[in-house]
Formats: sequence, C-alpha cells, structure tokens
Amino acid sequence: MSALGHYLEEEGIATVAISLIRPQAEKTKPPRALWVPFELGRPCGPPGDPAFQQRVILAALSLLERASGPVVIADFPEDDPRAQPDPAWRPPSLPAVAAGSTERLAAGLEEEIPLLRDAHERWRAHHGRTTVGLSGLSPDACGLYVSDWLRGRTPPSPREGLSAPLLLRFAADDVKAYCLEAASAGAARPSSRQLGDWLWNETATGAALHALRAALQASEDERLRLIAGNFLVPAVRARAG
Amino acid sequence: MTRLTDLPPAMATRLAELECPDFATRPWVGGPALSQRRVAIVSSAGLVRRGETPFRGRDPDYRVIPADTRPDELLISHISINFDRTGFQEDWNVVFPLDRLRELAAAGRIGSAAATHYAFMGATDPVQMEPYVRELAFRLKQDAVDAVLLTPV
Repeated sequence: MSALGHYLEEEGIATVAISLIRPQAEKTKPPRALWVPFELGRPCGPPGDPAFQQRVILAALSLLERASGPVVIADFPEDDPRAQPDPAWRPPSLPAVAAGSTERLAAGLEEEIPLLRDAHERWRAHHGRTTVGLSGLSPDACGLYVSDWLRGRTPPSPREGLSAPLLLRFAADDVKAYCLEAASAGAARPSSRQLGDWLWNETATGAALHALRAALQASEDERLRLIAGNFLVPAVRARAG
Repeated sequence: MTRLTDLPPAMATRLAELECPDFATRPWVGGPALSQRRVAIVSSAGLVRRGETPFRGRDPDYRVIPADTRPDELLISHISINFDRTGFQEDWNVVFPLDRLRELAAAGRIGSAAATHYAFMGATDPVQMEPYVRELAFRLKQDAVDAVLLTPV
C-alpha cells in the first residue's frame, strides 16, 4: 500500500495510506500513513459504526494538511470495540459434527448448506447484500464442487477462464462467506474470532475444508498443494499433519 | 487488533519482515485544504465487481470501481485468506469507505468524492504494479482527483 503511494506521489498526486502493519510502513517510508490498531481486514475499523469509521478516515485525510514531510506516520488512538466477543451471540443450530469417513465429511458439507439457507436469507434481507459470488456458482453448487474434490475427483471448472483448482479456491471462499454470513444473521454482533471458532471447530463445512486441505497437501500436483496449503484454511486455524 | 504481538508468532514475523521496496527518493505532493480536495479510494483488497474476473493470483493490474457501484456488487478476491472478511461482509465501508467519503463531502469536510475508485491485489510485488499505478495516475488526474486514500486489508 505504501509503495503505491510512492508511485502516485511521483506522478503528482497526494496520498495518505492507512496501515495495519506498522513495521511495513516504517520500512517503506510512505509520504503519509496512519497506522490503525485494528484486526487485519478491517482498515477502517468496526463494521456498522459510521461515526468511528469517519474518525479513522478524517484522521488519515487530515495528514494531507501537514506542512512538513515526508515521512509522516501517525497512530490512530482508538481500538476497535467490535474486536470484543458478544456474549449474546448464539451460532446457528446444526447437528453435531462427528468424525467420519471422507464420504461422511463430503455429505456433511452438502447437507449443511441448505440447513443454513433460512439464516442466510435473513442475513441478505437485513444487509441487502451478500459477498458470496466469486465462483459464480450457487451456494449449493459450491458445496457440491468442494465435496467432489474431497471425494478425490477433479471436477471440471464450469467457468471459462478459471481453471478447476482456481475455481476450487473461489468456491471454498464462497462457502465460507455463506456460512459466516448465515451465522451473523441475528441481532447479536459476534467478533470475527467467535465466528471463526464456530466455522472451523463446529461445522461440517469447516470439517470438510480441514479434510480437503490435508488430502490435497498429499497430492503430487504442486498447484493443488499450493491451493491446499494457502487458500482453504487460514493459517491460524490449520491443523498439523 | 493487529498489534503484531497479538498474531501467531510465525505470521507476525513474516509480516514484520516482509520485503518492502526501498525507494531512493521521497516524493511529497502538497495541495489545497482538505475541504477543497477531490478524494479517490485506491484499495489493495483485491476488490472486484460481481461478475468480473477475480484477481487470479498476484495479478499486477487493477480493477475500476465506479462511484455508482452498489454494496451488493463488490467482492473481495484477495489471494490471502489470513485476514478477517466478516467485517467487510457486514459493512463494505470497513474496506471500501465510499459512504464515509460521501458523508464527509456532504458535510464540507472534503471537497468531493471521486467519480471512480480502484482496487489492486495487495500481495503482488509493488515493482510489478508500478506501470499500472502510473497509468492509474493519469486516470485520476482526468477525474481531477488531488487526494488518494490508500486502504489495505
């Protein structure tokens, strides 16, 4: 991000970068940067809090009025209140996930998608949007595509221009988004950690993605090993072995 | 929060030690008061509009996000899955604060929000992005943009 600022300033356009990782800004020495003490993925702060977000944006843009520089690196003083767990949040009611065969894990993923449909519809109605859509497939079709891979098949990509491994990556992104949106459908405001704990430890979708990661990491295909290692399960959630 | 001490040690080390470009020059562009500036968002979240080809990996180019793009049209196709996406799912302003820029413009705190905004895939080597960024500067000037808010993930 800071490097983009350097190039744009060389072209005559003033920039200010929000920085989530202070050491990177310190190394790149951008013209102006505001470090924010928020979780990766939340550069402007808590969702659904316009007043807080405005303070972040104004703190960043106000650096454009500093008379001296470069380099300006300022720190935003407030923490994200949404980083705290919401004790009122309850995950969707789902059957307990039992350890089982590959077939059981694949079927469990396929069966879970429709079980979350009502909750996901509530989410869409409330927020007016969904971030499911990278693969271009429906949630059910995403589940089938991922479970096919788990069963050891290599389903062809139905999307022109996207290879089968790449479509697997986007279908996995979509099923995760679908589950996480469904889990946030109520009035409670779960933290990302609460949602992650649920997805990766308590759902059939999480169990299937853990199993697929392990299976593809044993593949002879380097590209599949790359997909498995980097794009299915976040590093902090990956299980050893 | 992303204080590096809050992250798993391996990730914290990798992020802190990530190779960053070491530029020989330190450009610094001034400009009018903030209340007179036209502001564009340039995100590195790998944002794409629904139906567009997602960023496929470390693509060095950028996507165009017109100001009339609706929240239900914008998706994240960043190569990394190691950052939170639930904030963006709930509220696109967490990553792409266009509503906030509009409010600041309406309140007179900034001059205006640009007609077009842009997104790169932030894990790409900045050196590979350079020609695209320079091309982007031309587009920004055509839109009379004189301030860019760079937002990461």
